[in-house]
Amino acid sequence: MALLEINDLKVEFGTRYGPVTALDGVSLEVDAGETLGVVGESGCGKSITALSVMGLIPSPPGKIAGGSIKLGGEELIGLPDKRLRQLRGSDMAMIFQEPMTSLNPVFTAGDQIAEAIMLHQDVGKAEAFNRAVELLDRVGIPEARRRASDYPHQLSGGMRQRVMIAMAVSCQPKVLIADEPTTALDVTVQAQIFDLLNDIQRDFGTAIIMITHDMGAIAEMADRVAVMYAGKVIEQGVADDILDNPKHPYAQGLIACIPALGKGDAGRPPPLAEIPGVVPPLHLLGEGCAFADRCAHKYDACAKAPVLGGDAAHPVACHASAEARI
Amino acid sequence: MSVILEAKDLTVRFPMPRQSLFAERQHLEAVRSISFQLEKGRTLGIVGESGSGKTTAAMASIRLTGPATGAVEFEGEDLFTLDDEAMRKRRADIQLIFQDPYSSLNPRDRVSHIVQEPLDLLEIGDEASRKARVEELFKLVGLRPDQLNLFPHQFSGGQRQRISIARALATNPKLIVCDEPVSALDVAIQAQILNLLAKLQEELGLSYLFISHDLGVIRQVCDDIAVMYLGRIVEQASRDELFTNPRHPYTQALLAAAPSLARRKSSGAKRPQQLKGDPPSPIKPPPGCAFAERCPLAEAVCKQTPPPLENGVACHVANR
Repeated sequence: MALLEINDLKVEFGTRYGPVTALDGVSLEVDAGETLGVVGESGCGKSITALSVMGLIPSPPGKIAGGSIKLGGEELIGLPDKRLRQLRGSDMAMIFQEPMTSLNPVFTAGDQIAEAIMLHQDVGKAEAFNRAVELLDRVGIPEARRRASDYPHQLSGGMRQRVMIAMAVSCQPKVLIADEPTTALDVTVQAQIFDLLNDIQRDFGTAIIMITHDMGAIAEMADRVAVMYAGKVIEQGVADDILDNPKHPYAQGLIACIPALGKGDAGRPPPLAEIPGVVPPLHLLGEGCAFADRCAHKYDACAKAPVLGGDAAHPVACHASAEARI
Repeated sequence: MSVILEAKDLTVRFPMPRQSLFAERQHLEAVRSISFQLEKGRTLGIVGESGSGKTTAAMASIRLTGPATGAVEFEGEDLFTLDDEAMRKRRADIQLIFQDPYSSLNPRDRVSHIVQEPLDLLEIGDEASRKARVEELFKLVGLRPDQLNLFPHQFSGGQRQRISIARALATNPKLIVCDEPVSALDVAIQAQILNLLAKLQEELGLSYLFISHDLGVIRQVCDDIAVMYLGRIVEQASRDELFTNPRHPYTQALLAAAPSLARRKSSGAKRPQQLKGDPPSPIKPPPGCAFAERCPLAEAVCKQTPPPLENGVACHVANR
């Protein structure tokens, strides 16, 4: 049994078009010491998956319509708020995309981390603050004791994200969910954050779910990868398999459309491979494969939705791939 | 090849609020005496991290930002000495595409009017010819004529960026400044927009001043590249040179930090080089090389004397 198991998760949102299925039968698992990369375009459901695990789906309009989420064998769906609050922070924690808006502007960095520690562990304020300073030092903030008394606006974007990470790991959670943790940051700072997350995983055996739309980030961070599209997992496997041998046309497109960083050989690089069109709005999804309208391999079988299947180690939800038409 | 845009010794200084009534006013030098040339029909990329002054440099070079000194020549004409009305007329040749396709389009305006507005403001053609031009532009950027009367919120991010491009093209400009045009988009959509920009450049003979923090994007679209750090150009080279043989330690660090499909967790691949810390404050820049604090090659001279830009690189060590 894996540490975190998501099984056949279904999440619906009430909209003015009626109920819309944001997640449709998502199954994922992640084990201690392992990083699962979840990749897809905006609106594919990757953040909703993360929020479901944390029990943070706003309800209404959202509701979990089916499936199960088990952390260490304990079912999270339907858990009373009190128990969820115990688990959040101590067993599972989340790093958000925008460090600017996810820290409280009127408390110092040290106080915010200390608050998380005091909530979950039986320690006094002074002790908690000292631990916060240690954590800030651990995540690579120079002069941690002085910086602990700084307010968020006095810190740079990279440092704010480090404070978020320090807060998230303050109670050594078993599962850490990082939702696009570096999208708002510069590349040199992004590299520092990636190394930091990998260090934390090595030291504490943390299971990490890394949510991103960047295949480059996946290559550096993930052991296993799930590719999502329009609320479904459409391909899953070991990171190297997905990156070197993607089976779904969408996964192939996501990898091919990245501008390469190789040497500057003579002349301008050829045009990038494109995925034409855009993600369809969820309320307009029909019976068939959600990707069919953007797919070069579309044929009559695509009028029926494909299911994730085939090779158990590298399943894919695509008729054309299953029948070796790609 | 003729030069379409040339900046000479361009400097932008913003006055800061006084700390107290009697304190001396501090200045923030966002761009510190940079020079570059953009050749007609080509793309000059400016790359750097946030706060490096790349946007300010580009805006100053088309006279869109405050107190700039130095000179900027557009087709041989000094833009800083033009009077306001002449500059307004000149703007037909110089257009802009912004980073955020959500906030750069008026949410209460139909997109056909958004695209037509530059023609109205510069009084180009009559009403009928402007309408025809808008339809032509829609086709050019890959939008459908039945979308003409929709509002911006009815479009996705990539489609909005197409609308921004159509608006920029309306007056038949010669130069387009692209300020991070794809950084708010998903990778799949980013590829569509980059290909569109390349196609339009070829068909219309446009010149681009292209700002980005993403080296992969820069390599894809730019012919010449300037790397900025804390208001200065630290390296300037053609694409082929810069990516084959980066010389400034900051350029090397940027390249090393960019995520790459080749660097796999499974193979335990480590970044060859890791930068620590953040850039220094632009209000009190260090006396020597601004990068010295973070530079693995820094020597005593780097902390005292700012390195001049020689042979395309501003580095005491690389120029030895």
